[in-house]
Amino acid sequence: MKTLTIIAGVMLVFVFVWERVDVVRLGYQIERSKSQKILLERERDQLQVKVSSLASPERISKLAMEKLGLVPPQQGQVLMVHQPGIAPGLSHPPVEQVRLARHVATGRVNE
Amino acid sequence: MTAGPSRGRRYVMLLVLFCGFGIIVFRLVTLQVLQAAELTAKADRQHQKTVSFEGARGTVSDRHGKVLAMNVEVPSVFGVPTSLESPSAVARHLSPVLHIRSGELEKKLRQNKSFVWLARKVDPEQGRRLEQLSLDGIGVVMEGRRFYPKGPLLAHVLGFSGMDGQGLEGLERRYDSQLHGEKRVTVLQRDALGRTVFPKGLAEQVPTPGHALTLTVDEVIQYIAEKELEEAVTHTRAKSGTIIVMEPQSGAILAMAVSPRFDPNVVAKLTPDRWRNRALTDTYEPGSTMKVVVAAAALEEKVMTPGTMVFGENGHMVIANTTIHDHEKLGWITFSEVIQKSSNIGAAKTGMALGEQRLYHYLQGFGFGQRTEIDLPGEVSGLLKAPKDWGRRSVASISMGQEVGVTALQMVSALATLANGGVMMKPYVVSEVRDAKGRVLKEVLPQVKRRVVSPDTAWMMTTMMEGVVTNGTGAKAAIPGFRVAGKTGTAQKIDPRTGAYSSTQFVGSFVGYVPAESPRLAMIVVIDEPQGEAWGGTVAAPVFRRVGEQVLNYLGVSREDTVKIAMATKDY
Repeated sequence: MKTLTIIAGVMLVFVFVWERVDVVRLGYQIERSKSQKILLERERDQLQVKVSSLASPERISKLAMEKLGLVPPQQGQVLMVHQPGIAPGLSHPPVEQVRLARHVATGRVNE
Repeated sequence: MTAGPSRGRRYVMLLVLFCGFGIIVFRLVTLQVLQAAELTAKADRQHQKTVSFEGARGTVSDRHGKVLAMNVEVPSVFGVPTSLESPSAVARHLSPVLHIRSGELEKKLRQNKSFVWLARKVDPEQGRRLEQLSLDGIGVVMEGRRFYPKGPLLAHVLGFSGMDGQGLEGLERRYDSQLHGEKRVTVLQRDALGRTVFPKGLAEQVPTPGHALTLTVDEVIQYIAEKELEEAVTHTRAKSGTIIVMEPQSGAILAMAVSPRFDPNVVAKLTPDRWRNRALTDTYEPGSTMKVVVAAAALEEKVMTPGTMVFGENGHMVIANTTIHDHEKLGWITFSEVIQKSSNIGAAKTGMALGEQRLYHYLQGFGFGQRTEIDLPGEVSGLLKAPKDWGRRSVASISMGQEVGVTALQMVSALATLANGGVMMKPYVVSEVRDAKGRVLKEVLPQVKRRVVSPDTAWMMTTMMEGVVTNGTGAKAAIPGFRVAGKTGTAQKIDPRTGAYSSTQFVGSFVGYVPAESPRLAMIVVIDEPQGEAWGGTVAAPVFRRVGEQVLNYLGVSREDTVKIAMATKDY
């Protein structure tokens, strides 16, 4: 009985020590994960800045004109049509459901 | 005999032990009691690390969530000169990475200091290369840097922040208390190897980032305005220029472009002259655009109707010993034609028919001589003297847009009032403030300032201003497929050397709204000191047309011919 009590006591001490060690180990692990999170967030922010600067209207417009040879639509080249089934001008300020009439603009209206 | 020496030895031993213990007790008392505070602090310094955290500055985005300003952690490079063996060798290694001359770096590294900044807030790629070099005595720390990814786009409105993250200009300054992150000092424990030990509850101690702002500005409309303004300013060799695009029903600013532009990412070498938001800080004499305000007052007070006949005095009229001229000799014309042909004599007569008090009342009603209270710093109230300070010619002069100083924002607000059926809205640029978790803290709703004129008056003015574009001085502002209402303005500037009107320096402007029957945009274009021809109808009206046409296309606003197309396509 006495021996069993001693063994149980020693086991309890081991469990206690193991628990303390594990807490410290997990502490370090959390710290590592946090550092990693900070690094990833930093990278995300850097990438977001990059995406934003690449999506700048000035840059896109320049690329469209210089690389793709596009030009701003000239007078009469943009036509708006109401989408069928949607009554225009119901909301205020009036936001009408329209789409670009590309086919009309390029003369392929009968297709 | 034996007891004597042994007792003596015992006493000696006791004395030695007593002294020994005495010394230990004395030392303990010294360490534990007398020097306790000092030594505890010293120990704390060894195993504790005090770190100051600052939450990232909030992001600024346009009305569709496109990022216009945000914070990113970037590396800053420092050196520890006292621990370097060969500063010249280290400087040679660093030079190509930091793009700083080797000699300059060596000079810094030869200083007798234990810490010196070599380069602050550098490119992340440079930081990575430095880490690969792993030079002794050179370290990298991360600092928050403000980035404006769109470069000069909207720079005059956004402003910029300083090296330590404080807002210095524009929205960055106006909303600094919302944008800056929380500052918090935390004590961390260090282990024997100097690693930070995760303390209890640190997660809750991380400082919260600043609030994010959503603007009413649309980056595409802003780009269109800036591009067209730059082109116009370059083409006319003007000193500067301004365009404001506003939503008349709400007062929301859709674009505010100022030329010359600047890049808020590199402001160190610029002067305030470059980053000043001229749309609200600079006043100019509006010239003929003011006639619209006088005409609206006359219609509202029923002093005039659009059909009232006014005699143009054949182009010359003497008031208070000075002569007022019109650029064409006009006889009897309707009141509508006074606006259409921009007759100075007609406007002067209208002002005189109103009288001092009523004229002043409506000028104040339309917001002149007072700030619009837009949420941007640096706004001025312009110049509008009280009638008691007016001279004999003042009523006539003010009716033609002289003797008053206005900002571009005041003028576009006045016209937006007519576009909005006579109700003046408060202009604003920030529509929403959100916290770091995306919760809305403040939603800015359109705010009515006052009713200035009746809807009938506003409608009559719209019809009269349509005439300016269809048959008058603003023909170049016409946008095919849309009804445009607007007014041109050309004003001589006062020469600061002589104090008289200059014959070479002008301000050409056009202010108006479109589509006239249901306005989506109110816009002003101001070109300051164009060279060559300086008429508002020549230098500013075409810019109004180009911006208006592109923006209406972008917003998908139907042209007058839309319905026909819809009917035509229905058959297919």
